[in-house]
Amino acid sequence: MNVAPVPPSLPHAAITITGLTKDFSINLRGVKLRAVDNLTLAVPEGQVFGLLGPNGSGKSTTIKIILGLLEPTVGECQVFGVPSGRVDSRLNVGYLPEAPYFYRYLSGTELVRFYGRICGVPKARLADRVREVIDWVGLSAAAHRRVGTYSKGMLQRIGLAQALVHDPRLIILDEPTAGVDPVGSAEISELILKLKTQGKTVLITSHLLAQIEDICDRVAILDRGKLILEGAVAELVGRQDQQALIVDTLPASELEELRGWLTARGHTLSAVEQPRTRLDQLFLNKISRSPKNGGQA
Amino acid sequence: MSTAKRSVPFSLSRLGIVAGNTFLEAVRQKLFNFLLLLAVALVASAQLFREFNFGSSELKFIADFGFGAMVFFGSILTIAATAQLFFSEIENRTALTLLAKPIWRTEFIFGKLLGVFAVVGVFCALTTGLLLALIYNRETALIEAHPEAFEAGRLIHYGDLLMMGVLQWLKFGVLAAITLLVASFSNTNLFTVVMGFFMLVICHLQYLARDAYSHVTALPLRLLVQGLGYVFPNFQVFNLADQIGIGQGIDPMVFVRVGGYALTYIAVFGALAVYSFSQREI
Ligand SMILES: Nc1ncnc2c1ncn2[C@@H]1O[C@H](COP(=O)(O)OP(=O)(O)OP(=O)(O)O)[C@@H](O)[C@H]1O
Ligand SMILES: [Mg+2]
Repeated sequence: MNVAPVPPSLPHAAITITGLTKDFSINLRGVKLRAVDNLTLAVPEGQVFGLLGPNGSGKSTTIKIILGLLEPTVGECQVFGVPSGRVDSRLNVGYLPEAPYFYRYLSGTELVRFYGRICGVPKARLADRVREVIDWVGLSAAAHRRVGTYSKGMLQRIGLAQALVHDPRLIILDEPTAGVDPVGSAEISELILKLKTQGKTVLITSHLLAQIEDICDRVAILDRGKLILEGAVAELVGRQDQQALIVDTLPASELEELRGWLTARGHTLSAVEQPRTRLDQLFLNKISRSPKNGGQA
Repeated sequence: MSTAKRSVPFSLSRLGIVAGNTFLEAVRQKLFNFLLLLAVALVASAQLFREFNFGSSELKFIADFGFGAMVFFGSILTIAATAQLFFSEIENRTALTLLAKPIWRTEFIFGKLLGVFAVVGVFCALTTGLLLALIYNRETALIEAHPEAFEAGRLIHYGDLLMMGVLQWLKFGVLAAITLLVASFSNTNLFTVVMGFFMLVICHLQYLARDAYSHVTALPLRLLVQGLGYVFPNFQVFNLADQIGIGQGIDPMVFVRVGGYALTYIAVFGALAVYSFSQREI
């Protein structure tokens, strides 16, 4: 894995953000709110990149600037080398907004087809492609229902489908797992990893840090608009100076023996713990639904 | 790296897709059912109000009443539908998803405009069609009852009525473009609707101001009033009611000129709306 930070000038960056600042005027007296503060960031191509930070730290604002929906106050932003704001910068981008909401009067299939047509998916392939992405997000059973009747998690799923319909190279997901059940959440993780194997770049924000840790190659953490930390996940969370050995339960006497053995060689046994299944793992094991049936409510 | 830089040309087909979706929204959100009901009720009521003198004046009354109702309700429909169809995108944040696609804001705005224009077009076609049928029916009845009054054949020029319907449609198009311009910078649906009606009144009455000030000697004031006369389209231009159906008829050249007048204003207000919308943060 390439862990060296990619300088903005290299063509391998899917997104380069340089010195980006965004102020919102929040009242008529000209009081400004700085949502993003001098942010410089590069998202390397082909990786899954996590954008983290507490509520109101400027993640969604950054994403909207990348997509040309907001104008930066200072600084610039490029997508595959094209300045965002230009229409062609969005050719290869799929976007799932946070808390998405779609035309409630369309069915799921119609909705995805609408976006596919807007993105110029060839007519001959459109119907197949629409069916394919709806199947990926596990909404096939509800595809003919009006979007107005969808639950929160189903909206996220159909949103994911519309973001993928034109087979973009860069997929930007703003909290894709908000409101999605653990099964769906795991499915989305799986989907993201699959996209990565296809060579896609994924930019994702989420408050589920465990999930981010599992799927992201790199993360950046924002706080009040400022970049606090950026780097490869393996480097940031891995502890190079320690190792965990997992063995079946030892009797106390053998444990003491092992401790002695280690001490004799100058090592310390710093913790003996009972490993626990993570609750989400337990949930996934107990809910033995076959995947891809979410939304059959 | 395959940074094959494709440029994205302006596309009428994308514009059409947005327009189609806007139209579909009007249809599926039941905006239409209500309208169709209204149109039918209105035109039908023209028959109840009819005067009972014989001959052409009754037919003219039906035509006047019918078109009057069509203008009144059509204006309400145009302003309300434009504001609603625009703000449903903004408030539901569907514009966010749509504008994150490779689409020009010009395509978005003109797509919305075209969608509204189509909705209003259906309304106009329906009311005009009903009205025509009504008048034809009545004329046929009158001919049977009083053949002597119709020795020269039918009195009503149905082609003129049709042209009148088309002109009202174009006028609603101008009104929709104005409303969309207001919507493009305003924050609320309500403000847009109120401003839309305000503009409607100005456009209907601006000729009064122009007439009143045409005798004023102070040049700056006169120029100002005339200038405003160009900024706001004159909706009286579309009102060829005096010629409706009977008498000398509508001169085709006038029809073409008025049509051109409307399309020019639609293009200009549409372009201004695009400009103002391109500054907007979604
Ligand atoms: N249109 C706007 N006008 C004024 N202020 C805004 C606007 N959009 C965002 N902000 C402010 O900018 C800051 C950053 O907001 P942003 O939505 O980017 O946060 P976020 O990191 O996505 O948070 P969350 O995790 O809650 O989604 C917040 O303080 C927010 O109030
Ligand atoms: Mg956010």
